[in-house]
Amino acid sequence: MRIYDHYAPRLLRYLLSLKVAQAQAEEVVQETLLRLWRRADLFDAKRASLATWLFRIARNLYIDSIRGEPHWLDIQEGLDWLDRTAPEDEASSTEAFTDHVGLSRAIDRLPATQARLIRMSYFEAKSHSEIAHELGMPLGSVKSNLRRAFAKLQAGLRHTP
Amino acid sequence: MKPHHHLDDSTLIGYSAGALPSAFRVVVSTHLSICRSCRQRMMDADAVGGQLASLQEGASMSAHARNDIMSRLGQRSTPTVAAPATRAHDPDVLPQPLWPYFGETYSGLRWRTIGPGVHHIRARSVDDGHLMLLRIAPGRCVPMHTHGGSELTMILQGAYDDSLGHFAPGDVADLDSDVEHQPVTSPGVPCVCVAATDLPLRFSGWLARTLQPFFKL
Repeated sequence: MRIYDHYAPRLLRYLLSLKVAQAQAEEVVQETLLRLWRRADLFDAKRASLATWLFRIARNLYIDSIRGEPHWLDIQEGLDWLDRTAPEDEASSTEAFTDHVGLSRAIDRLPATQARLIRMSYFEAKSHSEIAHELGMPLGSVKSNLRRAFAKLQAGLRHTP
Repeated sequence: MKPHHHLDDSTLIGYSAGALPSAFRVVVSTHLSICRSCRQRMMDADAVGGQLASLQEGASMSAHARNDIMSRLGQRSTPTVAAPATRAHDPDVLPQPLWPYFGETYSGLRWRTIGPGVHHIRARSVDDGHLMLLRIAPGRCVPMHTHGGSELTMILQGAYDDSLGHFAPGDVADLDSDVEHQPVTSPGVPCVCVAATDLPLRFSGWLARTLQPFFKL
C-alpha cells in the first residue's frame, strides 16, 4: 500500500487539474492503481519508471472515460505490446538509466515561459492553439518553445551525475 | 516501413498530455504503431508527465477510498490477456489504430471521388470529419495550399515529393499553418495517406479556390 499512499493523492491532483469532478477523479485513480496491480504483466520496469506507467494509465483512462473515446484503451494496449514482443536490446530500454533527479532538476531549470507552456499542456490538457490564444502568442512560438523545453527535459532524463 | 520523417516534439507532448484533438491522436497512434524511435520519444514525454505529477503536492482522497481499494484488490483479477495476433506483414491490412475508423483492409475501403484522380473517405465519427483517408493518383500535382491551422498526414502507400522532401510509407508530415506546399505524387501506385486537420486547407490558385467548395477539403 506504500505505492497507493504515495501516488493516489498525486494522481488525484493531476486529474483535478484537468477539471475532472472529485468523485470521478477518485474513481479514475482507483482504477489506475487496480490496473497496475492486476495487469502487472504490462509493467516493464526496464522501459519506464513506476511514475511513468501510472501517468500513462491515468491519462489513458482520462481520455477513455472523460473524453469518451471508445477505442483509445485498445489502441494503447496494442502499442504497448509492440515493444514487449520486440527483442531486448540497448535501445529498447531508454529509461533503464533514467535519472529522475536529473529530470526534476531540468524541470526546475526551465525558463519561465517554457515551464508555463509545459504545465499548461500537461496539467490543463490545453491544445497548442488554445495556449497560443490564451497567452496571445503566435502558434509557431508555442511550438518552438515546447520543442526547446522537451530537448532540455530529455537531456535531464538521460543525465548521469 | 522505416520512416524518415517523424512526429514533431510539440506533437509528442500534446499526445502525451492528452491535449491533441481526436483526429490528430489517431494519426499519431498510427505512426507510433510502425515507428519504434517515436515510441521511445513518447516514453520520454510520458516520463515528463509522470515526473510532473509526482512532484506535486497530493490532493486528499475520500476517507473510505483506501478501504475500498483493499476490498476491490481481493476480488478476482482480470485474466492476463494474450498478445494480439499481428497481421502487420499482410499488404492488404491497414495499420491497427485505423481499424475502428476505416475497417481492416485496403480492399474493403469504399472510396468517394472528390476530383479528377482524387478520392477520399471521411471518418465522420471523429472530430466532425477532420480525420480522413485520401487517395491521389500517381504522378499528380496537388494544388499549392496552406493550412488554416495544423495538419498531420501519414503516408500509407505510394509516395509524394514536395519542398520538404520525399515522403514514403510510414513518413509523417507534421505541418504548421505557415507552411505552403505543393505535393507531387510519385509515379507507379496511387498515394494513400491518412490526414488530420483542424481547419480546412486553403488553396492559393484561383482555379483551386474555385474547386475547393466541391472538394470540401
